Amino acid sequence: MIPDRIIEQGTLTTDGGRAAVEVRIPWYRALPASCISEVALAVDGVQAPAESLTWTMNGETHRIAELASRPDDWWFPLDSAVVSGEVPVEGGGEHRVDVELKLYIPYIIIGDGEVLRIEEHDTKTMAATSAKEAVA
Amino acid sequence: MTTLGSPIQGVTLYSFTRAFHGREYDLEGLIRKVAAEGYGPGLEIIGFSSFRGFPEIDDAFAGWFRDLVAEVGLVTTSLAINADIGIHRDRLLNQDELIEYMRRQIEAAAKLGFPIARVQISIEPDSMERLAPIAEQHGVTLALEVHADQYASHPRILALRDRYEQVGSPYLGFTADWGATTVGFAPSLIEAYRRRGASEELLAEVVDLWNEFYEAGPPADQADHGQRFGRFIALGAQNGRPDLGVDFGINGTGLFGPARVDDWLEIMPWIRHVHGKFFGIDERGEEPSVPVRDLIRLLVEQGYTGAISTEYEGWHWNYWQSPFEIVAGEQAVQRSAAEAAGSRMITDPAEARAQLAAHLAQPVHS
Repeated sequence: MIPDRIIEQGTLTTDGGRAAVEVRIPWYRALPASCISEVALAVDGVQAPAESLTWTMNGETHRIAELASRPDDWWFPLDSAVVSGEVPVEGGGEHRVDVELKLYIPYIIIGDGEVLRIEEHDTKTMAATSAKEAVA
Repeated sequence: MTTLGSPIQGVTLYSFTRAFHGREYDLEGLIRKVAAEGYGPGLEIIGFSSFRGFPEIDDAFAGWFRDLVAEVGLVTTSLAINADIGIHRDRLLNQDELIEYMRRQIEAAAKLGFPIARVQISIEPDSMERLAPIAEQHGVTLALEVHADQYASHPRILALRDRYEQVGSPYLGFTADWGATTVGFAPSLIEAYRRRGASEELLAEVVDLWNEFYEAGPPADQADHGQRFGRFIALGAQNGRPDLGVDFGINGTGLFGPARVDDWLEIMPWIRHVHGKFFGIDERGEEPSVPVRDLIRLLVEQGYTGAISTEYEGWHWNYWQSPFEIVAGEQAVQRSAAEAAGSRMITDPAEARAQLAAHLAQPVHS
C-alpha cells in the first residue's frame, strides 16, 4: 500500500557484525505482531540469516518466529520498529538497504479460511552510523 | 411522496492517511485541519488507524477527544471497526471470540461518542444477529459496509438484509460505499501506472477490460469475481508487466465496482451511513469515475438524512497532488449536486447533530 515508507531514511546502524534499521508499517492501520509473517534484511546485497533477525517494537525485542504468538502487541501506524540481523557493514560510504515484509491482513479473508498476505519491499541508500555513536 | 433528504457533509480521516502516516499531522492537528478547512461537520475515524492502543480507550483520552471534537465544532459520525478474524496465525477466531472482539470495539465507539460503528463483510448474518443486543446496549448502530467487489443486490448483502428484517433491530444497517457503483477505471490510477512505465497500449487494454465488465454488470458471485481478477492478472503477464497484474486485479475489481447507481434501492431503508468514496477530481472539477451527482440525487430523492463521509482513496497511488484540495473538490461537487436535486448538504454542526440523531432513531421499514 505504501511500500516507499517502509525503510526510514538515515536509520542504518551497525556494530560491525550486526546491522539495524528502522521500519514503518506499509498499511493504513495498526496490525498486531502476530500478523508479521516474514521479514528479510539485506545490506549491500548481503542477506542477514533469517535466524539472526530480531524485531524491536513497543520496547521489547523478539525473534521473528516469536511474533506469531503476540496478537496483543500492536504496530501502530506512527511507530517505527527496528529490524536487526547479522550482516557485516563496511565502514564509510553509502549502503544499499533492502527490507522485505510479508504481513497478514487479519480482516481480509480470501477464499476458504485463507487470510490475505501482502508482500512489500523497499530499498533505500544511506550511510551507516556506528551503534556506539548512535547510543552516545 | 418521500420528503427530499439533506445529507450531512463530512469526511473520514482515512482520506488523509498519507499525511498522518507521514507524520505531517498528528490526530489533533488533523482534526483541527478538518474543522478549519470546512470538511466537516461529520467526522469518521478508523479506530485501529488513529487511536494508539485501540480498542482500549481510557477515560482521560476519551474525555480529551470529546472535548476537542466539541471545541472545533465537528460531529462524530462513524467509527470504523474491524473483524480481525485472522488475528491468530494458526486458526480463525470462533464465533464467541469474534463477538467478544467486536464488543470491545463497540464499547470504544460509545465511549468516544460515535453513534455508528462501521463493520465489514466478514461479519455474517448470525454474528450480526448476536451483535444486535450489544449494539442496543451501547446505543451504537452497526452499519455493515457494502463495498466492491460486493454491491447492494449481491447474494451476501441480500442475506444480511433479510436477516435484518427478521431481527427487526433499528441498530442493524448498512454503510453504502460508492466504490460499488463506479462508471470507470480511475484516470489518476492510469496516470500512476504510466509513471511506473506502463505502455499506452497496455493502459488502453486495462480500461477496455474494465469497460467490458461494466457492460456485463457486477460479478454474479465470488467465482465470477475470481475470474475477472484472473483476467486482469493475465493482461499484465501478456504485456510484459507481470508486476502490475495483481495490482490491476485488486483495483479493477476491489475499488471500481461496476454496479449501477439504482442498485442501492435494494437496501435503501437500511442505509444508515454512506462512504462518499472517490478517486480524484479532474480539470473540470468533476469526479471522472464515480457518478457523484447521480449518487447524491438518488440519496436526496430517497429522503436520506444521514451522513456522507467523503472518502478519498486515490492517495494509494497519487503522491503528486494534495489530498486536502481533492477532498474540497469532491465536497463542492456533492453540495452542487444536492442543490441541483432541490435540496442541500447540511454543514452546520448543530443541525447535523440533531438530524443524525433523528436519522438513527428512525425505525427501519421496507
